[in-house]
Amino acid sequence: MKRIGVFICWCGSNIAATVDIDRVIAAAQKMSGVVYADQNKYTCSEIGQAMIKDAIKEYRLDRVVIGSCSPRMHENTFRKTVESAGLNPYYLEIANIREQCSWVHKDKEAGTAKAISLIRTAVAKAAMNEALFAAEMPITRRALVIGGGIAGIQAALDIADTGFEVDLVEREPSIGGRMAQLDKTFPTLDCSACILTPKMVDVAQHEKIKLITYAEVDKVEGYLGNFTVTIRSKARSVDLQKCIGCGECIAKCPSKVASEFEEGLVQRRAIYTPFPQAVPNKPAIDRAHCRFFTAGKCKVCQKVCPADAIDYEMADRLLTNQYGAIVVATGFDTHKLNNYGEYAYGKHPDVLTSLEFERLLNASGPTGGKILRPSDGKEPKTVAFIQCVGSRDKAKGNPYCAKICCMYTAKHAILLSEKVPGSKAFVFYIDVRTAGKDYEEFYTRAYEECGASYIKGNVSKVFPDGDKLLVRSVDVLSGALVELSVDMVVLAASVDARADAKELAQKLAVTVNAHKFFTEAHPKLRPVDTQTAGIFLAGMCQGPKDIPETVAQASAAAVKVAAIFSKQSLLGNPTVAEVEPKLCSGDLSCMAVCPYGAISEQVVEERRGREMVPRKIAQVNAALCQGCGACTVACRPGAINLKGFTNQQILAEVDAICL
Amino acid sequence: MQQKVEGYPLKEYTTKICQIAKEALENREVTAIIGWRKKDFWWQSPVVFLEDPADVQQLVWDPFTIYSPVKFLLDWQESCAAKVGIFVKGCDSRGINRLLQDKRLERERVAVYGVPCGGKADAEKIRASFPSKEIKSVTLIGEELVLAVGEREERVKAEAYLLDKCLSCRHPNPVVYDKLVWEEVSPRQYADESRFARVQAVESLVTEERFAYWQRQFDRCIRCFACRNTCPACNCRVCIFDQAEPRWLGKANDPADTLNYHIIRAFHVAGRCFECGECERICPAGVPLQELNRKLIKGINDAYGDYEAGLDPTDVPPLGTYRGEDPAGFDES
Amino acid sequence: MPVTNEGFEPLIVAFCCNWCSYAGADLAGVSRMSYSSNVRIIRVPCSSRVNPSFIIRAFQRGADGVLVAGCHPGDCHYHSGNFFTRRRLTVLKQMMEYLGIEPERFQVRWISGSEGAKFAMVMNSVAEEIKRLGPNRKLRDVR
Repeated sequence: MKRIGVFICWCGSNIAATVDIDRVIAAAQKMSGVVYADQNKYTCSEIGQAMIKDAIKEYRLDRVVIGSCSPRMHENTFRKTVESAGLNPYYLEIANIREQCSWVHKDKEAGTAKAISLIRTAVAKAAMNEALFAAEMPITRRALVIGGGIAGIQAALDIADTGFEVDLVEREPSIGGRMAQLDKTFPTLDCSACILTPKMVDVAQHEKIKLITYAEVDKVEGYLGNFTVTIRSKARSVDLQKCIGCGECIAKCPSKVASEFEEGLVQRRAIYTPFPQAVPNKPAIDRAHCRFFTAGKCKVCQKVCPADAIDYEMADRLLTNQYGAIVVATGFDTHKLNNYGEYAYGKHPDVLTSLEFERLLNASGPTGGKILRPSDGKEPKTVAFIQCVGSRDKAKGNPYCAKICCMYTAKHAILLSEKVPGSKAFVFYIDVRTAGKDYEEFYTRAYEECGASYIKGNVSKVFPDGDKLLVRSVDVLSGALVELSVDMVVLAASVDARADAKELAQKLAVTVNAHKFFTEAHPKLRPVDTQTAGIFLAGMCQGPKDIPETVAQASAAAVKVAAIFSKQSLLGNPTVAEVEPKLCSGDLSCMAVCPYGAISEQVVEERRGREMVPRKIAQVNAALCQGCGACTVACRPGAINLKGFTNQQILAEVDAICL
Repeated sequence: MQQKVEGYPLKEYTTKICQIAKEALENREVTAIIGWRKKDFWWQSPVVFLEDPADVQQLVWDPFTIYSPVKFLLDWQESCAAKVGIFVKGCDSRGINRLLQDKRLERERVAVYGVPCGGKADAEKIRASFPSKEIKSVTLIGEELVLAVGEREERVKAEAYLLDKCLSCRHPNPVVYDKLVWEEVSPRQYADESRFARVQAVESLVTEERFAYWQRQFDRCIRCFACRNTCPACNCRVCIFDQAEPRWLGKANDPADTLNYHIIRAFHVAGRCFECGECERICPAGVPLQELNRKLIKGINDAYGDYEAGLDPTDVPPLGTYRGEDPAGFDES
Repeated sequence: MPVTNEGFEPLIVAFCCNWCSYAGADLAGVSRMSYSSNVRIIRVPCSSRVNPSFIIRAFQRGADGVLVAGCHPGDCHYHSGNFFTRRRLTVLKQMMEYLGIEPERFQVRWISGSEGAKFAMVMNSVAEEIKRLGPNRKLRDVR
């Protein structure tokens, strides 16, 4: 017979006001197995916890039931309490008599009756509680960072600076990401390259960081502390060991294709580095556009290479590495404007996206930093900036706010006024959102000091008007129809999750939201974690954010990784599934429903007459099992049970409730 | 009262079956044969195990080789490591697939001899029309049942005397086999319409009528577990209903426990039942178990797409998988 | 329809997944949303942990109604648990109705951790429906 102690918490008046504690105690004392029952004003207080510990010793309690607030609140607190009194922490059971009783029932009679029932249920379960122990797992102290934009760079540097090894995987030939495309950054107008490139170089030179560019994640297996990741290192066709980065090959390459980095405004060669400050500053051959790979002859690059670094035979290589934690920092795509024909994007050369405009501003961009119209190379004197193109648009685009457009448009307006004297920016907006340190001041500067006109209204149409563009809208503040003739139109295209975010999510066994942004474990309290332990998020891949937020999240992810790596070993979840071999038929119905691949087949030897014969049954990898219990129902003979929530315990709870 | 086997093609079937069994045993391809033999009465053709080639003449194929031999494979496999040969009808062959899909059978340890089946006779229906004591033999010739009654021969349309489950059989030909005993037969054309007819009839009742109807059925249940024991889908090593800790099913003869048994039994074969109908046929109390099994099949087909169990052992059964856009039989708001 | 069965207080067993519906119940508490005191919650890690045998057992032991509540499809803490729940309990529910059990007796609902109000509303509506139906006699042990 178990010796169960019951402790009822008043929670001040929170419980005591609607539950007659004395009656609950009196009822508890009569329950089977209960040898002690007492009450306390605040059980979670030091005095309350001391009372439990003393009672465990004095009355030799071997199971503890606490009637208090939700177990989601204080289960861990009380587990530690019973553990410090020498009991297994899983000998504790909590009856939720606050959130699910005293707070929702006004009638004291009903509340008391229900509290007694809840205590009886918890006592019935506690009597069946077994000692549970978490499995100890070793940790591979090497992190994988996926994506080499500012988020991945920051995360990699911060992890490496704590002394742990990091592999940084980037799918393009160079790290740098979106931030490398930017000219200046709001609200300080620092040159983006000036603050980013030193970090890129740090990454390349850091002794703890291994840079794997032009590579993608192929497969992820394993679990927290012990991931096995297969990385596909794409055939670069350039031997990074031999290449000296002289650029001779690029200069002589005869094949040209639109430059992704320059947003298609100019062309790059088939052998290329994405941009001049690339890290590593060594080219890759874009085989889809290379004359040799498409037409079978050329090999100019090989001829001019002084280092014999060109290797047309190079094939994709699969690298399989062990990691203890993963940071996902895969960034974003700009929203495709196919649904916005009314803005003439793609039809008129002087209608640009903001990122294209950003390249015009950039000193290393296609115009050397001069704002010139793609159509005729003239300086635009009037520029219309249209906000929320594809954002906050349930009908045609994304329902969410892209968050960065208001601020970069203010930046564009300011830079326009600086670069083109006498010019004028018109900003068409729905709302201007400037929450952030110094952001409002920056926006104010755009219209107060730099003369930008802000017009609240959705632009209905943009159409060519001679060598100008006519922008038609309504000023909703005055109700007047607005028709503006401008030299250039810049569209603040929304941001999308990466097109292939879902595939990566599936590989990582993490989830994405309806818009394919990776889902954090908790929107407020665990914004960096994913639901999969050991995988963290940084930057835009989780949702729209600006650079400071991205960097902060990246550093947070790094700390999370370092925290894992700083442990001696990892403790698993003790409430895992376990197989009773005698009952297991080996049909592995359980395996089909396990989301974690935690169930596999094993061969056991069984006695049959005088001989031992092998038999296949299911086995659970306690390190992988997360304890959902889906397997327990798939198993018809009930051979697989869930510790902490066993069939016996739940049936006992049912019986006790219905008593 | 040994049956006088005569007529075509059942006699030919029997000859071929004996020949296959004899060869397999003599060549030592298998160490035993599972088939059917004739017992004392005209309506009895139970399952038999044979190990001696000299005994194969006992094997028979007649309108009463109804019993599924499939579940005996579990005992066989547990008891020894040798290979066994088994004769199966269309329904039995799906039982083989059931065991294979459930990883309860090692395919290489069984030689499957498929026997295309024209349907089995219902002794009750025959007794209702002919004096049982005077029947000497019953055989099937084409679509006719030929009975030796006393000194005379009676020829009747077979359909009226077949088992109900055979009338709605969709797969009279074996779906898995190593050897086919005879050429395939064509399925009954009316099988499809009759499949869910009884289910629809029960569905058309209102809630209280349905409850009363099922209470009448279950009231007769003596919980002998014959339905479970014969069912190839009920192939757990230790059935949940036999366990004492926890006690999933009360032992007392309580109507609620009977209902518990029937609900959970049906749930456990949901998406796995391949409609052999043996549960219902074997029930000594006449509980219409197929009406329950087929209700679940119909429900799964309607909600999650047509699925027929026992056809492909590599399938994942419907309750072992899902689609994000699955409909639900409850309020999802 | 007026509530009959005056004086009958039903017993309702609610299996709630820890991550969504149990949290929703806690939120209903934190928000002091009053609901029927006839509901008793059993905490399970996931709705996919709920074995049909538990549900039948509750009815046998005298529950007048059983509710299974889990995360909304796609929001399962364990990725896919509630998708299996949806199929399993759809099959179970169809069967029970086919056997003549009133549909209201056994219900399945998706309630998220942020839906405290929905939790309270569902509990009240289930309690109301069961009260109208009267005590469970069909599935209850006679002994």
